[in-house]
Amino acid sequence: MAAPNSAQRKACWDARDQLWQCLDDNNDKIQSCQQVQGDFEAKCPAQWVKYFTKRRDFLKYKEKMQTEGFTPAEGPQVNS
Amino acid sequence: EDGLGDSEPEGKHRSSASHWTVSFLNGPFSSRQSGCQDFLGRWVLLYFGFTHCPDICPEELDTLSAVVSALDRDPALPRLQPLFITVDPERDDVAALARYVRDFHPRLVGLTGTPEEVQHAGRDFRVYASAGPKDEDGDYMVDHSVLLYLVSPDGLFLDYYNRTKSPEQIADSIRNHIRNHVPL
Repeated sequence: MAAPNSAQRKACWDARDQLWQCLDDNNDKIQSCQQVQGDFEAKCPAQWVKYFTKRRDFLKYKEKMQTEGFTPAEGPQVNS
Repeated sequence: EDGLGDSEPEGKHRSSASHWTVSFLNGPFSSRQSGCQDFLGRWVLLYFGFTHCPDICPEELDTLSAVVSALDRDPALPRLQPLFITVDPERDDVAALARYVRDFHPRLVGLTGTPEEVQHAGRDFRVYASAGPKDEDGDYMVDHSVLLYLVSPDGLFLDYYNRTKSPEQIADSIRNHIRNHVPL
C-alpha cells in the first residue's frame, strides 16, 4: 500500500479540518457530523484516522486542563 | 551547480534517493553509496522520518525546505544538502523515497538501507524510533523523535532544531555556524 502523495495528504487534512470544525460547532456531538466523519474516514488511511482522532482527544483534554484546572490526586499517606 | 529545473541534464547521474551503506568506522558521512553521492564536504541538514507519516514529517520537511531555500538566496554561502533518512526501511524503499522527496526542496535526497544500517544511523544521532502494531491492512505508524540535525562538512554533528524553531531562526543559527566554522 503506497503512502499518500501530496494531493492525498492535503485532501485528508482538509477533511479532518472540516470534521473538527463541525465538532467545534456542535459541541463535539459526533451524531451531528456523520457526513463529514464519513468523508474524513474515506479520504484518510485508517491509521491516520486513528491518529488524528487521538490527537483531537488529546487537544480537548489539554484545553480542559488549562481552562478548568484539575485536582491533584492524593498521594499515599505517610506516617510522620 | 545544482540545477533547479525539472529536467535532468543528459548523462548526469543524480538520484533523489539511494541505498546507503554505512561505514561504521568513520560514521555515516563517509559512507559509500550506490547513488554515487557523498556528503562529506557539504553542510548537511537532516531529518529522520517515514513516508506514511500523517502530518509531522511533511511539516518538518517544509521547514527544512524553507531553511535551505532561505540560505540558497545568499550566493556567498555554500549550498546546503538536505537529507531525509527513513525510520521505516521495511516500506520506504528507494522508489517510495524518490516519490516522497519530490514534493519538497529540489535538492532533498532520501536515504534508506537495511534495518541494521538505518538503526545504526539513528544511533549516531540518538534518534528514537519505534514501529507500532500493524492493522488489518498491514499499515502502522512509526513513533519517532522529531528534530532537524546540522552536520558540518567534516561530518560532525553541530546542532539540532526542534519544532519550536522557525525557519528564520534555524537559518540564522546555520549562518552563524558556517561563519564560525574552522575546518578540521
